[in-house]
Amino acid sequence: MAKTAQWRKIHPPPPPPAQQQSEKPHEPKPETEQFPLPTILTYPSSTPPTLITQGAEARLYKTTYLLPSLPAALKYRPPKTWRHPVLDARLTRHRILAEARVLTRCRRAGVPVPAVYAVDEGAGWLAMEWIGGPPARAAINEWLKRRKEEEGGEGRAVPVTGKEERDKQLVALMRRIGSAVGRMHGVGVVHGDLTTSNMMLRPWEKGREPANGYAATGEGVGDGLLDGDIVIIDFGLASQSTSDEDRAVDLYVLERAFASTHSRAEALFTATLESSYKETFKQAPVVLKKLEEVRMRGRKRSMIG
Amino acid sequence: MASPSDSQTASSLIETIQLEHVPSSYTVLVGLFKDVSNAEFLQQQLLGRNSEYEYAFIDASSVISRIQVLAAVYKAITIHMSGSMKTPNVHSEIVCSLSPNNNISEAYRRFGITPSSSKHLIIVKVLTPLPAITTTTTSSSPLTPQAVHQHLFANVKGTPTPFTDEVLQSGLTDWAKVRKYYKLNGVGWLDSIKDESLRRREAEVLVLGSMALRSL
Amino acid sequence: MAKQHPSGPLLSIGCEGSANKLGIGIISHDPTTGKSSILANIRDTFVSPPGTGFLPKDTARHHRAFFARVARAALAAAGITRPEKQLSCVCYTKGPGMGAPLQSVAVAARTIALLWDLPLVGVNHCVGHIEMGREITGADDPVVLYVSGGNTQVIAYAERRYRIFGETLDIAVGNCLDRFARTLAISNDPAPGYNIELLARKSSGRVLHDLPYAVKGMDCSFSGILTAADLLAAQMREQEARIAAGEVVKEEDRITPEDLCYSLQETIFAMLVEITERAMAHVGSNQVLIVGGVGCNERLQEMMGQMAKERGGNVYATDERFCIDNGIMIAHAGLLAYETGFRTPLEDSTCTQRFRTDEVYVKWRD
Repeated sequence: MAKTAQWRKIHPPPPPPAQQQSEKPHEPKPETEQFPLPTILTYPSSTPPTLITQGAEARLYKTTYLLPSLPAALKYRPPKTWRHPVLDARLTRHRILAEARVLTRCRRAGVPVPAVYAVDEGAGWLAMEWIGGPPARAAINEWLKRRKEEEGGEGRAVPVTGKEERDKQLVALMRRIGSAVGRMHGVGVVHGDLTTSNMMLRPWEKGREPANGYAATGEGVGDGLLDGDIVIIDFGLASQSTSDEDRAVDLYVLERAFASTHSRAEALFTATLESSYKETFKQAPVVLKKLEEVRMRGRKRSMIG
Repeated sequence: MASPSDSQTASSLIETIQLEHVPSSYTVLVGLFKDVSNAEFLQQQLLGRNSEYEYAFIDASSVISRIQVLAAVYKAITIHMSGSMKTPNVHSEIVCSLSPNNNISEAYRRFGITPSSSKHLIIVKVLTPLPAITTTTTSSSPLTPQAVHQHLFANVKGTPTPFTDEVLQSGLTDWAKVRKYYKLNGVGWLDSIKDESLRRREAEVLVLGSMALRSL
Repeated sequence: MAKQHPSGPLLSIGCEGSANKLGIGIISHDPTTGKSSILANIRDTFVSPPGTGFLPKDTARHHRAFFARVARAALAAAGITRPEKQLSCVCYTKGPGMGAPLQSVAVAARTIALLWDLPLVGVNHCVGHIEMGREITGADDPVVLYVSGGNTQVIAYAERRYRIFGETLDIAVGNCLDRFARTLAISNDPAPGYNIELLARKSSGRVLHDLPYAVKGMDCSFSGILTAADLLAAQMREQEARIAAGEVVKEEDRITPEDLCYSLQETIFAMLVEITERAMAHVGSNQVLIVGGVGCNERLQEMMGQMAKERGGNVYATDERFCIDNGIMIAHAGLLAYETGFRTPLEDSTCTQRFRTDEVYVKWRD
């Protein structure tokens, strides 16, 4: 990298080489756009694998496992060329295993997460149950949009308080979220990246709804839009922890993510989350107290100056 | 043993399965034989390393579904491809892949063939790609699926039966054993599921998870 | 207050002394062309003997002793004969950094401001690094990795602030390297980190000692790594003693300073590149700018470059004149603030050891 490290004369600062190149037409696309498949996915299958997401360290493919009829999600951590190969192999192995262990731990304890199908930590992949349905984030946003249209769509959006009859479905969904998070924390797992994008809304099977009373039936906005089981996904940053601080940070991240993506229902969410979290997790009061601290800290961080 | 006149229909009871994401040079053959009477003989052939009897003999009472067996086959094939087998061949790897832990002899005992308890057997044959350097011994001509069918029908004394979840569920699975092997006894929420098919499906994914995390 | 014709170039002097470097720089901004010119960038470093770190008291004494000399050299290099007429403001580092050295330089800056009757501009040291890095490299809106003896932060700009996405949870990466240099009793001249880099280059690269890799989301931690590296160094000394006593130690079991430095660099730089990549993915950027003294390290630049290339982007880094603490970055960032009307009244011209990057309101960017 000695080249880019060279000091460039200050007047006038010349555009960096990459910018000059990117202005050229027909420039070959950056390497990031032609991901080579992990070896395992190069072997024949009934349908070709599809790249679903590309994160900083992992790619998620939709593919099949064993039979054409069994859809699966394959998470692949490609090697990082910039990292020492020994270190890279060690980290990849460790992280694939950690994620698989956390998932199986949750699943055995009845926490709604994808089941683990197969693991090859040496090759850096993990195959999981495919979870159908939209991410909760998309469903909630669509629901809020329809509700706004119902209001007439004019003027400023007023906060959704949950007091109205038509908001029952949203409240029920929030309760399912709080309950799922509480159960996860209860088995000693913290997620590390809780957002409504990392929760799927898996459709209920033919009229089978949860028996815990969290399914709101009846009239409401966007009929059935918010139906389904919450399944928490992407445990790439998860860890096994029983620390109240870690749990509180998990809730704080979720709260902040919710505030930024569904700001109209923020206050309702906080209240509903807390009450349903308490119902499924015994130590909730301690964690919620800690959450107050974390909130103060977080606010202070961004407010000073 | 199937009589020669039945061989045409019986032959279709040994399935050839093309697993997803497995090189086409691998061929997987699976069959279920009920009421096997010569388990002791078959186990002797295994112990004696008789290469003609190189099969995965799986005790059907430890199996709850097709997927469970196929997952073990898939895992064994990936291990075979990576060259990191810990047992003599891909077939013994299959039996071990059913186990939720790394204890090889325990895996053979629990999931493999035992003369005393194995009444019904799931038999798997994986035809692997030829090694790059073949020895010049005359007997090393590649096996065909037909040859495997014939050999099984001639030597396994039992009733070929379709290898389906329904058949497994018709009393072949020993749930007490499965629950013990895969530590499902402490899982309270599983027992509280009323819907039987849903309960079986949940048990299946727990079993798959245990198998996947074997040795880890 | 400004003593120039309104359209002429604005000049500022910057005084930096938050750690063991005393730097004074003079920059010129041309308001019509938007061009900057570096007129002077003089530095004097307090180097402590091998095996020791620089103490606040001694460092402050160094800064006080050298301030007038360095300031004169800067003025001479810039050809400034009448600073009270030619300069617009006096910029100084308000923080973060070591208390005593910061104070010494703040007092000196106040003195020249009063002497020349110029307004003062207090500058956040980290913002100084970021702005200078952007100016020098032309990186427009990069994710910034700020790595030095006192700071380890991953920063991205949003809504008028440099937001901290990730940071160290304990000691700074440069501090980790400096302290390990002390453990090995490597020279602090010109900088302990540079000498670690030279040793690491001599390693065969075949041995990678197992050091704890501590990344948590976008944050990281270095104290555990330092402890582990120190333990290995102790084992190495024990080995050396056994060899001196005539014992035979197999070649492949030998622990060497070169391999230790190599392993330390490979591990901590991998952590830095990883958290930077995560921040880049988070904000959707493919530019990365490395600033701060550790940013001079070519292995870090190389690793970061590979990562950025795989993401279809680029790494931007500067050489030791700008990476290492200097006065010009304070002059530059201070002048940017000055141009938006920012002043630090004399009574507020204090300094502070803690001063977070995200506390500064960045009025000069959109």
